[in-house]
Amino acid sequence: MLLSRTLKEELIKYLFFCVAAVSIFIIFFIFFFLFQEALPAFQEMGWGIFSTKWNASNGPYGIGAAIFGTLIVTLGAMLIAIPLGILGAIFLSELAPHRLRIILKPIIELLAGVPSIVYGFIGIVLIVRYLQPSFDMLSGYSFLAGSLILGVMALPIIISMSDDAMKAVPRSYKEASLALGATKWETIKKVTIPSSISGISAAVVLGIGRAIGETMAVSLVLGNVMKIPLPPWDMFETTGTTLTSLIVNDMGEATGLHVNALFAGAVILFVIVAIMSISSNILQERVEKKFRGG
Amino acid sequence: MDLRKSYSYFKDFFKELLKRDNWEFKKIMCIVSIVFSSLVAIIGFASVAMSVYIGDIFLRFLLGTIAILISILLFYSYIKLHKKKELASLIVFVVIVFLLAYYMPLFPPQYELKAYDVDASILKFMITSFILIIVGILGASFSMKPLYNFTSKSSQASAYYVLTVAILLILYPLVVIVSSIVSNGIGGISWEFLTQDVSRHGSKGGVFPAIVGTLLLLMGTVFIALPLGIGSAIYLQEYAKKGKIVRVIRIGVDVLQGIPSIVHGLFGLAFFVPIFGISLLSGILIMSFLTLPIIIRSSEEALKSVPQSLREGSYAVGATRWQTIQRVVLPPALPGIITGTVLGVGRAAGETAPIMFTAVVFMGAGTPTSIFDPIQALPYHLLELTRYIGAYPVDQNAWATALLLLSIVLGMNAIAIIIREKYRVEF
Repeated sequence: MLLSRTLKEELIKYLFFCVAAVSIFIIFFIFFFLFQEALPAFQEMGWGIFSTKWNASNGPYGIGAAIFGTLIVTLGAMLIAIPLGILGAIFLSELAPHRLRIILKPIIELLAGVPSIVYGFIGIVLIVRYLQPSFDMLSGYSFLAGSLILGVMALPIIISMSDDAMKAVPRSYKEASLALGATKWETIKKVTIPSSISGISAAVVLGIGRAIGETMAVSLVLGNVMKIPLPPWDMFETTGTTLTSLIVNDMGEATGLHVNALFAGAVILFVIVAIMSISSNILQERVEKKFRGG
Repeated sequence: MDLRKSYSYFKDFFKELLKRDNWEFKKIMCIVSIVFSSLVAIIGFASVAMSVYIGDIFLRFLLGTIAILISILLFYSYIKLHKKKELASLIVFVVIVFLLAYYMPLFPPQYELKAYDVDASILKFMITSFILIIVGILGASFSMKPLYNFTSKSSQASAYYVLTVAILLILYPLVVIVSSIVSNGIGGISWEFLTQDVSRHGSKGGVFPAIVGTLLLLMGTVFIALPLGIGSAIYLQEYAKKGKIVRVIRIGVDVLQGIPSIVHGLFGLAFFVPIFGISLLSGILIMSFLTLPIIIRSSEEALKSVPQSLREGSYAVGATRWQTIQRVVLPPALPGIITGTVLGVGRAAGETAPIMFTAVVFMGAGTPTSIFDPIQALPYHLLELTRYIGAYPVDQNAWATALLLLSIVLGMNAIAIIIREKYRVEF
């Protein structure tokens, strides 16, 4: 009886081990596959992969323009999302009366789940159609439209995570400050925000990561021309594409080295996002450590 | 006689007004200034949001007047001012206001840059509107200060004003998006729409095969990802020794959770499509890979939240590890696990990029008979309709599809949030 019980225990343990091994194998297989497929492009092109010389049919495949587009669109989106998101999170966690908060918080969390294709559709029927006539643009498809839609998309994530970070600040911290005679705003400014700054930065970093990796919404509202606009900061030009948009537009008909170049783009995306999510994790771990003792 | 009397009356009145400590008057001044400033900000916002042309000479005159008025009011209110920092910021602000006041009536529409210089005129439009918004918000938050006599409460009031404006600015696009989808889409949803096949490039007919395809995809995803995900989470959290390897695995899971869905799509196209073709099976596998890290992560969190003392109590009465997991750890962790699964599947329901070259076709899939058949899916359907906008009359169906997709995905997320809130176990 006892033997069969320990045997059963061991069997169950190995069953779980196998399941975990399969999952882990899948995860690392995806990583491995991406790098393996991207390798020929890096070997063939060398540093030229970062150049802006791009010819879809027979090379060279320099994806510099797409990298630049990704950076500029993300930058524009973050100019909208970071200040608004942090202010909104302060409002939600510190200022909003309880009744408003229990309505707003789930709504904002829900909006974080709106599919990107819906944002893309909205981007075309609302933003592009609005930008074109009101800014006298050639077509509304531009970095500006991409930045606007990405900024709106990143808002719920940043708000919801920063709000969690501010809520995690122990009550005793705030009460100590209030007891010293500080006003609520002074408490927010001098106590709540400084002690939750790692959590807020984690939220911002994660938001940036999401914005960089966003595909459908961006590719629909961009001009998708593989060039850097002139001058480069021209947000109104129809020229320009991002890494994700390049991949989604080209992967259907790419062959040979072209495919490898797309995988190289995916690897670059992957590396950026990996750095983002790892640093976001480290920041969050710091928060947890900080408040565990308190 | 009469005239002299009224003159002296007015003289007294103004004397009274200009007294330093006339609290009532100052209060009115501040409130008027707050209202005016908010008005300026609203006009600026409206000019961006609804493309009201603020080049209109009348509007410019009006705004210029308001700007000058605000600065006079503010100066009056700040007359008691002693703090240097406050004074400096006030002076900067008033300079901006005056620049704005001059800037706007200075260029009447006939001197505006013409259409061939598009960028310059856009820039001017943008700059003017944004200056209006910023000046309005700053003006209003400044005007709060005299109300509280520049105590620390005054900066609280102005900060709260800015925060409230920020949350309104956040809610504006979100409300516009959701309300336009609901109001435009509700008309297109009918029995025919839900039960018929696609016809005429999506401008007629419905989305029945797409609904079926999406459901099949989700069922397959749950079937593969759920056991794998929960099993891995249990192993990592309950059996594995805490150490470097588990840490690396956890980082791997996190990174996989963050990588763009298009990368999954590219992976699927290069790896699964050569083996299984464009089929339901490829789609299910890719979606499982996409949701796996979400399920692992949230299940792990749920398991972690069960306190160690419960496990130890169970071991103490002689239960084995599996019995402990089965009877003590899993029941309180279940709501968290379900929440994570529903969130993950909800994300999969809305994803387009991973399946667009690996599993779906726009029309003609019908109800697939085997897992090697291609399917239709709602997100991809919406993508194709979005591409056809302008070429075919698909607007009505596109809005309806967007509404349907949005309600499915948000419905799943709402269920997840409700489960989390309702069955939350506090230890």
